[in-house]
Amino acid sequence: MGKIKIKNLKKTFGELEVLKDINLEIKEKEVVCIIGPSGSGKSTLLRCINALEEATSGTVEVDGNDITGAHEKINLFRQNIGMVFQQFNLFPHMTVLDNICLAPTALKIKSKDEANAIAMGLLKRVGLQEKAEVYPGQLSGGQQQRVAIARALAMNPDVMLFDEPTSALDPEMVGEVLNVMKQLANEGMTMVVVTHEMGFAREVADRVIFIDEGYIVEQGPPQEIFANPQNQRTINFLNMVL
Amino acid sequence: MDNRSLRRKSLSIPELIAQNWPRLLSGLGMTVEITIISLVFAAIIGLVFGLLSVAPQKALRAIALVYVDIVRGTPLLVQAFFIYFGIPMALGIRLDQNLAGVITLSLNAGAYLAEIFRGGIESINSGQMEAARSLGLTYGLSMRKVILPQAIRTMTPALINQCIITLKDTSLLSVIGVVELTQTGKLIIANNYESFKMWLIVGVMYFIVIMILSKISKQIERKMSYGKNKN
Repeated sequence: MGKIKIKNLKKTFGELEVLKDINLEIKEKEVVCIIGPSGSGKSTLLRCINALEEATSGTVEVDGNDITGAHEKINLFRQNIGMVFQQFNLFPHMTVLDNICLAPTALKIKSKDEANAIAMGLLKRVGLQEKAEVYPGQLSGGQQQRVAIARALAMNPDVMLFDEPTSALDPEMVGEVLNVMKQLANEGMTMVVVTHEMGFAREVADRVIFIDEGYIVEQGPPQEIFANPQNQRTINFLNMVL
Repeated sequence: MDNRSLRRKSLSIPELIAQNWPRLLSGLGMTVEITIISLVFAAIIGLVFGLLSVAPQKALRAIALVYVDIVRGTPLLVQAFFIYFGIPMALGIRLDQNLAGVITLSLNAGAYLAEIFRGGIESINSGQMEAARSLGLTYGLSMRKVILPQAIRTMTPALINQCIITLKDTSLLSVIGVVELTQTGKLIIANNYESFKMWLIVGVMYFIVIMILSKISKQIERKMSYGKNKN
């Protein structure tokens, strides 16, 4: 049963056609890594899955819910789809704990105490429980991104979207974030990851999707895509990044 | 005879202050009162129109734009005359000058505050709104919990500045007969002809109040700063 179903998805920004015709089905508990050159549309595709970008045409379904035509119901659907951004986007005016508790408490899903308990549990999972009362500005990039993951998990989502989660990090901090993501994948989270970390894709992904110029050019298990790419554009891209 | 000699005798500044203190104080009181009341209404107007001016809907943005343009495109003095003389004449009503003054200043400062709110909101990285929305928060909740608290922090200096401007603008209301500090000064000078010293006293009184306001604002700014974001 497809957890995420994308049919004939097109997205244009003015004259620019970013996504031309995307068809994609992602199964429950599947970890999909999306790779491709910059400007290929991979981030836009990810952002269409939780309607941060509105699709120009086509449909996106998550858990049978139509994301593209959801209107005000989108807020409900998004609670089930966590997202982690390249720039972390933590709320700088709130402590780490408040960052994580904001959505569950503001949406009146959890009481303050319940949310705090959940947040502390999540911070423990990402190894930052001693940072609960600290402001994001006092954390390193890697720590901020781990908090951002904890914040997304606080809504107990079924699907997690990662938009180049390690691209803004200093190299020595990439590992700590990828480790948290690996752990999440091992626990059975359905994950869609836009990434330049080919090592991560190779090790963790069930499927790797190569996107170029708005189309899915090639997809398959990482060992196939990396060892034996079929399309010339995939070959060129991999030659440049590997 | 007695009167004339009294007038000719030039009073020192301390004497002038002592003689006119109750009136000056009540004038200053009116200035502060009108400033505060107007700013409360202006803050509400400013927030509403500020939010309209960043709304996703074009029509709402247009409404805010028209309002701000009208206020910015006309002098405060003309606005005061229009509200105190013009509108009551057209409607055949009487408007109390203090009420007219408050309405004028509220609408005027409201437009400038709307621009300050717009600037403050737009200065917040769009990633903040996206992060909040991605968690399932509505647009309104995201504004209230994430965007506005940060925007107001960055807006603080501009907000304080607008408070000071509005306080000074109350002096223009003297032309419609509001007995605030400037009008009080005019009335006192009409009696004693001590133009130089009285305007000096009035000026110093404005200056002291505004300096106090500036100092308080510096304190507030310091208190509101938080761990700066590293990225």
